[in-house]
Amino acid sequence: MIVFVSGGAKNGKSGFAQNLAVQLADGGKRYYVATMIPVDEEDYARIRRHVADREGLGFTTIECGGDILSCLNYDTHGSYLLDSVTALLQNVMFPPEKNYEMDLQAAEKCADDVVTFAKSVANAVIVSDYIYSDAQRYEESTECYRRCLARIDRLLAQVSDTVIEVSAGQLIFHKGGLPG
Amino acid sequence: MILIIGGAYQGKLDFAKAAFSLAPEDIFTCTGTEIDFSKRCINALEEFCYACVQQDMDPAAFFQEHKDAWQDSILICNDLSSGVVPMDPVQRQWRHTTGQLCQYLAGQARQVSRIFCGLEQRLK
Repeated sequence: MIVFVSGGAKNGKSGFAQNLAVQLADGGKRYYVATMIPVDEEDYARIRRHVADREGLGFTTIECGGDILSCLNYDTHGSYLLDSVTALLQNVMFPPEKNYEMDLQAAEKCADDVVTFAKSVANAVIVSDYIYSDAQRYEESTECYRRCLARIDRLLAQVSDTVIEVSAGQLIFHKGGLPG
Repeated sequence: MILIIGGAYQGKLDFAKAAFSLAPEDIFTCTGTEIDFSKRCINALEEFCYACVQQDMDPAAFFQEHKDAWQDSILICNDLSSGVVPMDPVQRQWRHTTGQLCQYLAGQARQVSRIFCGLEQRLK
């Protein structure tokens, strides 16, 4: 099944998504798609925290800063946790190797690829961030990024069996339900 | 009146088009302080609010004064409520008045829908 998880920052999305991915894997193979490309000590510390959080949950970590479809080479029968679409899109839309210059075509492709990926594996739990309810007039590239992320979110919500918003660790179901 | 709220790019207008069979000519999109209430659907009320703030008008007071005009309307507004308090006084006032307008309209509405990633959550 495909489960899409979103909500505001620091509301417990990652922790919930991890446990859900383990539950859906039901003893089978489970993969954690690590999307962050670390650039400084703050990033490394965050990654260490996340690795410690996952300890004992039996995830195989796949480093994937960009091409999400490359994960399909591992195993299409496994259960995948993609955390997060937000970071993945940032990597492909503002590629570090191209001096962070905005690449709109790559963003379009990322949207299609994430949907293809979700549909191609046994179970996919996909985490995004709800960044759409503030009162800021952003400059154009940030606004573009929000628009592209929202497009991916909506495409994923459409193909997902279940859509959950996490608020203070609590679940708001916008679509479908969970097994058990 | 039906009020549709939600964050930016969540699919509020697409939802309204599908749910109420709106044609392009049924939709008025706000860009200033003028609103064409002859259209069934008034979109982007947050832009109306932004223009009001710049011209020292009170959006909620305007809607109260023109109550007869929108009783059967479908009104769409961005939810601007969940960010850091803006440093810029215009954006701060924008957030304040948009929130006030949404509260007033939600109180008056017979239906309030919040759109999250293209999906409707019925609030009223």
